[in-house]
Amino acid sequence: MDMAATATVEQTARASWRSAYGSPRSRLWLLVVPMTLFFIVFFVFPVLSLFAVSLDKPVAGVVAAKGDFVLNNYVRFFHQPLYYDSIFRTVWISVACSAIAALLGYPLAYLIAKTEHPGRNTFLMILVLASMQLDGVIRLYGMMVLLGDNGLINGTLLRWHAIDEPLPLMYNIFGVIAGDVQITLPFMVLSLIGVIQRINPSLEEAARSLGASRWATFRYVILPLSMPGILAGMLLVFALASSSYSVAALMGGWKVWVLPVHIYQQVSNGGHWQFGAAIAVILFAVNITAIFVYQAVAARTAGGRV
Amino acid sequence: MNDSARLPWPIKLGSALALIVLLLPVVIVVLAGLNAGDYLTFPPQGLSLRWVIAFLQSETFFGAYLFSLGLAAITMAISTAIGTMASIYLTRSPSAGAKVMRGLFLSPIVLPGIVLGLALYVFYVSTDIGLARTFGGLLIGHVLVTCPFVIATVSASLVGFDLSLEEAARSLGAGPLQAFRLVTLKIISPAVGAGSIFAFIISFGQFDLSLYLGTTNLTGLPYAMYISLRYKFEPTAAAAGIFAIVLVIVSMVLSSRLINLRKLVARA
Repeated sequence: MDMAATATVEQTARASWRSAYGSPRSRLWLLVVPMTLFFIVFFVFPVLSLFAVSLDKPVAGVVAAKGDFVLNNYVRFFHQPLYYDSIFRTVWISVACSAIAALLGYPLAYLIAKTEHPGRNTFLMILVLASMQLDGVIRLYGMMVLLGDNGLINGTLLRWHAIDEPLPLMYNIFGVIAGDVQITLPFMVLSLIGVIQRINPSLEEAARSLGASRWATFRYVILPLSMPGILAGMLLVFALASSSYSVAALMGGWKVWVLPVHIYQQVSNGGHWQFGAAIAVILFAVNITAIFVYQAVAARTAGGRV
Repeated sequence: MNDSARLPWPIKLGSALALIVLLLPVVIVVLAGLNAGDYLTFPPQGLSLRWVIAFLQSETFFGAYLFSLGLAAITMAISTAIGTMASIYLTRSPSAGAKVMRGLFLSPIVLPGIVLGLALYVFYVSTDIGLARTFGGLLIGHVLVTCPFVIATVSASLVGFDLSLEEAARSLGAGPLQAFRLVTLKIISPAVGAGSIFAFIISFGQFDLSLYLGTTNLTGLPYAMYISLRYKFEPTAAAAGIFAIVLVIVSMVLSSRLINLRKLVARA
């Protein structure tokens, strides 16, 4: 780097930092400059421009924001059941998915949190992390081969004459929920492990030594203390499930109209950028609402304890 | 010490169920890719490498695989560099602003990929900066979604880092950069390595962004598989999946040697 320039920047920085903290760690803030600039230009601005486009008059085929500031797109969305019903559909699918993921994920998270053998612990962590990081479309391929009308389950049952026609396991809401659970389960497990690990084992021992049964110990000691992790995991799963386009498109086969499918349909098939942007903002708003619900419930379950 | 003996049976049963849900689809993809027949049945008709060979010769899938690898490598380099620098600031700065920034930098994890892709595309077109449907535009999206993982991993290793080590190096005559390079960077380098592996894998498996930022020439493996899955179940796609699965498992084993995976989830 240019020495002279560095020196000047350093002096300015040092002066301002000193005045704030009286510390010589002057150039520390420089480290965060690239990331901050990158996020302002390519994250904050784009999200704002999406908001702006959603407030433009709908003109098919036009992408750029014009700054009309009209509510046409939102009015249209909330006047047609085809569109506003998809909010409820998206929400209930995502709530169902987060509840199932919590029920399925808790035992595994508990097992991993209590596994002290380092090799076994690492092995289980690798399984969970690898299944989280593997491309969702690849995992959906497996789900589709499993659940399809000619898939492994239906094909086998048909050949054994256990059923006469294929069970409707895919291209419907069931398929979407199954796909969402598969995709989001690792996130649930990971957000639970840390919380369960932090529960002091002596609390459990105390409850047991005072005569509580295993179930009572779990119900009145472990479960309440796990609540923060369960709620945080459910929020994360809700956010991921409500916004996944690939699960709804592939497992729902374009028959389950959730918000991401509407967005894609409006933009890619109709060129209705303004309306698509409005639905994207509504999806964003659904997730923000979920965060508020989460905070309210979290404050309630904490009940004064933190 | 025998851990499993202490655990009640509902926990074991539930864990088994969860592992089946997590792993069964992956096993199915592997079987479908190695299956001898045209489509997968239960039980399989026998093993064969015909689909793996078809994948290696397929322009669509193999080309997409290589494209994803290249894009992931560049994404990884950028995210790791700016993410590590930002993490150092975020963990050392006492200011409230640092907390806000951390929240901002982690937020792409929960922002729907389809919304982010759409937002970036609208932004590129509105500003006319020539990034719409280009490699650079796609790359920017990938850096955005991978940075949170680098920051989470690297800052986990920096929390509890003993600053006096760096100060000791300084008092022994090292310059600030030298002290950083020889002491701090050395201590956090396993976490930086793991963070960069995460960035690589997240980028490699990124699908939703490609819907608006990719084109026919800018097609990664997830998008190629998605197109194929909409119409038919090509075993070639499953064979491509096997290569992705191997890549993910190798990366996770590597990162488990670099960092304590438990530490990642320890501070939520």
